[in-house]
Amino acid sequence: MLVSWRYRSRRSLIQAFDPSAWLIFYASFIASTLFFWDLRILAVFMLVAIIIVVTSGVMWSESRRAWLFIGGFIIFFAVLTFLTGRGGVEVYTQEHVIRTLKAPFTLFGWRPTVDVTVERILFALSQMARVFALASTTILIPYSLNPAHYGVAFRRLGLPDKIAYAMDLTMRFIPTFGRDFQLTLDAQKARGYELDKLQGGLIEQVRKLAPLVVPVTVHALAGSEDIIDAMDLRAFGTGPRTWLIELHYQTRDYILIAIGVIVFLTSMAASLLGLGQFWVPQTLLRIFGF
Amino acid sequence: MSNSKLWSVVGALVGVIVFFAGIIWIGGQINPDLQLDETAALRFVFVGIGLLAVFVLYWLTKENDAWEVGTRQVVYMAIGAALYAVFSYLFNGTVFVVPSVSQVSLRPAIALPMFFGYVFGPVVGFFTGAVGNMFGDALTGFGLSPQWSIGNGLVGLISGMAALYVDKKKGLNTVLIVSAVLAAIATILWFLNPSQSNMMFFDPGAGIFGDATISAFAGLSAVVGFVLVLAVRYGFASDMDIAAAVTWAMLGNFIGIGFAAVSDIWINGFPPTVAIVGEFLPAAGPNMIFAAILVPILVRAWMSLQRQTGR
Repeated sequence: MLVSWRYRSRRSLIQAFDPSAWLIFYASFIASTLFFWDLRILAVFMLVAIIIVVTSGVMWSESRRAWLFIGGFIIFFAVLTFLTGRGGVEVYTQEHVIRTLKAPFTLFGWRPTVDVTVERILFALSQMARVFALASTTILIPYSLNPAHYGVAFRRLGLPDKIAYAMDLTMRFIPTFGRDFQLTLDAQKARGYELDKLQGGLIEQVRKLAPLVVPVTVHALAGSEDIIDAMDLRAFGTGPRTWLIELHYQTRDYILIAIGVIVFLTSMAASLLGLGQFWVPQTLLRIFGF
Repeated sequence: MSNSKLWSVVGALVGVIVFFAGIIWIGGQINPDLQLDETAALRFVFVGIGLLAVFVLYWLTKENDAWEVGTRQVVYMAIGAALYAVFSYLFNGTVFVVPSVSQVSLRPAIALPMFFGYVFGPVVGFFTGAVGNMFGDALTGFGLSPQWSIGNGLVGLISGMAALYVDKKKGLNTVLIVSAVLAAIATILWFLNPSQSNMMFFDPGAGIFGDATISAFAGLSAVVGFVLVLAVRYGFASDMDIAAAVTWAMLGNFIGIGFAAVSDIWINGFPPTVAIVGEFLPAAGPNMIFAAILVPILVRAWMSLQRQTGR
């Protein structure tokens, strides 16, 4: 049985566009974000992402788990990067220390110390803005793109019929296999299997993963026969494929694609010109007396 | 594939590479201080190079049935990619936190492109690795590393090259020798640079962000993996499917992960030793352990299923 993503038709900005036009914009947006570490530019990307999220019509109650997971991860890594100063070393070379915080205790003679620097604060903020822009737009895809449109959207992006259909099936299978994994894990737990408490050396631990990996994989392959038969009965692959749903670009779709492409090309050009690198405002340095 | 279509594909691939190479060259002229790690464009260049390599491989052996894509292959491609995405997401160290052993984290997902490649052919293997990695990254929500997706695709593709041979035993010794040479080169580089950081090991709780000195186990993991594969190869000499599956998977792993790691020499400006000792060894070595253990189990399970269903 196929389990579907939590898609439903909504009055939203994303669903106002053709799905393939939206995918082109999304890919351009993601690629453009990766070119920059400048907080000012990343703030613009983050703002666009917030607008997309707010207008998506996806309710907090239905996407809460995804947001909590990603939110927790973003904050956890940003805070740890800030505390340790690692992660940003490839982006900046000089640090301006605002204050050094020392713990009032020692651990085996070592006193935990945190250097609060201008660069660490800005890098943590830049990292949060960047990852939020990437993650938030990605989270919305399963909630906003109609599963019935996956195949035809990929086909319209220029992929051959078979590859487009394989991409379509891949997206449809992911929630199903996620559910199968959970069922298998629960079944194995009922038999005393504990994933969190794997014992033994590396080889033994890998071997103990087999009771999870093998049943899920074999179950998926066994179930595939029905799908293959159904496709063969409909003469899949014997000629050019037609799709039940036809999508047509409208003016707004062309505009969205143009915006995506222009943003991507501009971002790439800016990056090649050395613009958009990590930014430390001089005003901030002056405020802290540097 | 007709000649006109063929030349269209070749032309498009070469065009992409020339376009990005031109941009980088022109970018360098405009901005002499341009650092290679400051541009994402190179990632796409390596995607082009990887796809070109795949195409050349296909072109040289295109008469072989292994490249055929029918209904069955389309469904297996989708199943493989979806499973790889789900397992990558679940075992990326955030959903299920399984303690790492000697800087080696449990990432069983890599066994999937190897298994799907060997059993269902190079096209299924490539799609499983490349698209599965892409969706796995997207599920986690942390952007995409397209050159690593291509690298994972190559793992599945090379594992599926076994299908080019009717006699599975044929070519196995050559595959073993090539893999041994690759493992030896990487391990010698580790011996010469034992203080290199393990860039694939992250333990935020302990304040480690890919900067801990590589452990002896991770440094020797390619050799350990090779020995394990060798043991499986000759331990299951009578079961040629298992012997061939792990041997081709080993070569696929070395070439695929090697491609992704070496691309970082240009993309991130890493010195070759950093890319090989810091990235390739800790990624490819442990993968061999998963290959040697999980791939044979999956192949056996698949063969049992085939016998039951009669397909």
